[in-house]
Amino acid sequence: MSDVAPKELRIVGFLCNWCSYGGADTAGVSRFKQPTDLRVIRVPCSGRVDPLFIVKALLNGADGVLVSGCHPRDCHYSDGNFYARRRLEMLKRLLPFLGIDDRRFHYTWISASEGQRWQKTVTDFTTQVHKLGPLHTGKEAQP
Amino acid sequence: MADTGFIPKEKWGAFIEGLAAKSQVWVPCLEGDIVIFRPYSKDRTLCFERPANNPPKGVIFPQSDKLFSFAFKKDEDNPQKVMVEIEEKLEFPKTTIIGSRPCDAKGFLIYDRPYTETDMPDPYYKGRREQTTIVTMSCQAPSAGCFCTGVGGGPADTEGSDVLVTELEKGYFIEALTEKGKEIFQQSAIEAGNSYEAEARKRQEAVRSMVRDPFGSGGKPEVSKECFESDEFWQDALAKCVSCGACTYLCPTCYCFNITDEKSFEKGERFRSWDGCMYNHFTLEASGHNPRPTKFQRFKNRVGHKFVFYPEKYNGVIACCGCGRCIRYCPMSVDISEIVSNLQKPTGSASDGK
Amino acid sequence: MSLDKLKQIVTDVLKDVDVVIGYKQGFDPLHATPHFITSSDQVDQIIWSPLCVQNLTTYLPSLKKKVGVVVKGCDSRTIVQFMQEELIDRSKVVVIGIPCNGVVSVRKVLEKVKHQPIEEVKFGGDGTVTVKTPSGEIKMALSEVAPDKCATCIYPTPVVYDHLTDEPIASTKDPQNVFKDVEEFEKKSLDERKGYWEKEFDRCIRCYACRNACPMCVCQDSCIAETREPHWVSQKSTLTEKMMFHMIHALHLAGRCVECGECERVCPMGIPVNKLKKKINSDMKALFGYEPGVKPDEKPPMFTFNVEEKNIEEHKL
Repeated sequence: MSDVAPKELRIVGFLCNWCSYGGADTAGVSRFKQPTDLRVIRVPCSGRVDPLFIVKALLNGADGVLVSGCHPRDCHYSDGNFYARRRLEMLKRLLPFLGIDDRRFHYTWISASEGQRWQKTVTDFTTQVHKLGPLHTGKEAQP
Repeated sequence: MADTGFIPKEKWGAFIEGLAAKSQVWVPCLEGDIVIFRPYSKDRTLCFERPANNPPKGVIFPQSDKLFSFAFKKDEDNPQKVMVEIEEKLEFPKTTIIGSRPCDAKGFLIYDRPYTETDMPDPYYKGRREQTTIVTMSCQAPSAGCFCTGVGGGPADTEGSDVLVTELEKGYFIEALTEKGKEIFQQSAIEAGNSYEAEARKRQEAVRSMVRDPFGSGGKPEVSKECFESDEFWQDALAKCVSCGACTYLCPTCYCFNITDEKSFEKGERFRSWDGCMYNHFTLEASGHNPRPTKFQRFKNRVGHKFVFYPEKYNGVIACCGCGRCIRYCPMSVDISEIVSNLQKPTGSASDGK
Repeated sequence: MSLDKLKQIVTDVLKDVDVVIGYKQGFDPLHATPHFITSSDQVDQIIWSPLCVQNLTTYLPSLKKKVGVVVKGCDSRTIVQFMQEELIDRSKVVVIGIPCNGVVSVRKVLEKVKHQPIEEVKFGGDGTVTVKTPSGEIKMALSEVAPDKCATCIYPTPVVYDHLTDEPIASTKDPQNVFKDVEEFEKKSLDERKGYWEKEFDRCIRCYACRNACPMCVCQDSCIAETREPHWVSQKSTLTEKMMFHMIHALHLAGRCVECGECERVCPMGIPVNKLKKKINSDMKALFGYEPGVKPDEKPPMFTFNVEEKNIEEHKL
């Protein structure tokens, strides 16, 4: 974790290209201030997000994962986010079973015009993850 | 048998601790109802009553072994020139395996031929092998499926071990088989062994008579070429195999490996890891062609390697130690001893029924 | 049920199919093994007893011929799940159903007899089994050595069949208890759960026995846990990679696992692999009211969606 600034945690964000990425862009254009822990990965649709992306991120060093897509009924591809909603809900319930706090994973629906809402979501989620602390203590055993 | 000794039951724990002070000791540990080889530490529960679920082959031939790490560095003045820095560590710690069985120990001898008896011995394998002392426990009873006597071994076989330990009523009779084994005798817990030798031999003989020999060929089963080449035989025999690969990973004599580079951006590591001939992609080529796409062809190759090709190359030595793990842990109870036994007859069928 | 009746049905079915898959005696008195019958002289080797633990339906998606298969209650759910996902041609499968009172767990029997060599196994009709070893005979109740799945089985009679060898059995188990083990586990703290899984998965050797024995895992030859492109899991044998494989396995079975228990039975290192899948199944039940492998005309919940989801609420930070 040495390439992250000392007080930052690693938070990965999967944003759908049409709504949420646009919303994040709106927040940027409006010069809203928000924590810099979150690193964005753009996907065409929240339905592209395989629950395994989130698992792989959390197992391999991420401290928190955020997924954001279009509002249900407003998906650019009609029904991608309906599938996403089912899969992500299933994953959210599974993570605590493994011993990973489910507050480290959050999924939400943010549209392209909701820059203010994006800024608030990122700030609140980053605060939440900071409260939980880093997930990995770096004690991975040698193969 | 020059050096023999005896360790009373009360001093067995101290004996192991004494060895652990001088080398990294691997022992079979009980976790729930599973026995698995682990590095020794005081809080573990040791279990020598039955063979471990996994053989100790991972001690000398780790499941994933870092060969070296590498980093790519671009030349500052000429970015087209890229240098590779390689970092390799070829030192291995002094190691002792306590509690392997004669079948497990024989497995290392099978490895030695292809890995070290060549003009370019494998330095990683050779380095670990030279640093490892193998203290074998002879068996008190056969395990489900095992058949060491059928392939020229035995429950108190000395091949491949440095020290052989036989459990008696009041303690353990130990005998040094090699120079490395004699070093173990520097331990203070060991008393004189001569008076116990007769009891030990009697026990060993008694167990030997309990082991089954499915081939009845004096430890050297021979496979009939005609039967071996019959596709129908293999299709019949392997219909129930699910091609999982558990048999290859649990086999003390299986030594196939894969080499992969695990890298991210400009640095990475080259790993050697276990491979299994039962996997579909074992022979998958870069072009997409696969010479052995079906499971029965792969199993035929597995039996062929152990009972035909390896003996042909190495003076009749069979690359199977008869431990029976492949039979015990096979999800569908595929029985290699039954298949080879049927292969012996010139006109046998795959499932003759028992 | 008389063994003769089963043999008679198999002989009849054999006339219409290329192969019938049943059970025969395995390599020792405690093991049965799958028996592929292509001619009537092989029918005599068939056995039926609580030793018959394997799920024989795992062969169906890859066999292109007309097949007859012997199934217990749990195995029959796999066939229904195959029908939901169109993985088999139902007209090419003849299902011989056997109502089942429970099987044995070989691991549990061996623990009870302290891993001594098994000489003989006898099943008393009274729900007991007697095992003979060199040090004598030990009698035990079948319920003591049954796998965990039998203790909560609510489908003892196959849910789909073309022939039934005996009168249907009604379940004596409370459906509320099916996920009791999941509920018990969730009483532990987060740290305890993490420690538990780290301890269990550390033993994994990634032999893929669980994946290959699973009837619903049909992608075995192109499983993403082993592909290099895309590179999901590396060859390093670290805890992270092992957990990643098990998450891939469990998540790809979300809403499809019929809880046949094969994964846990075949693991050579005794890892409770089935637990993760049971947790996902309990969520499927709670969220979508769905139980895998029961109604052929249902669709697995991960394959479909509702515009309004009754049980999914938006999460607030």
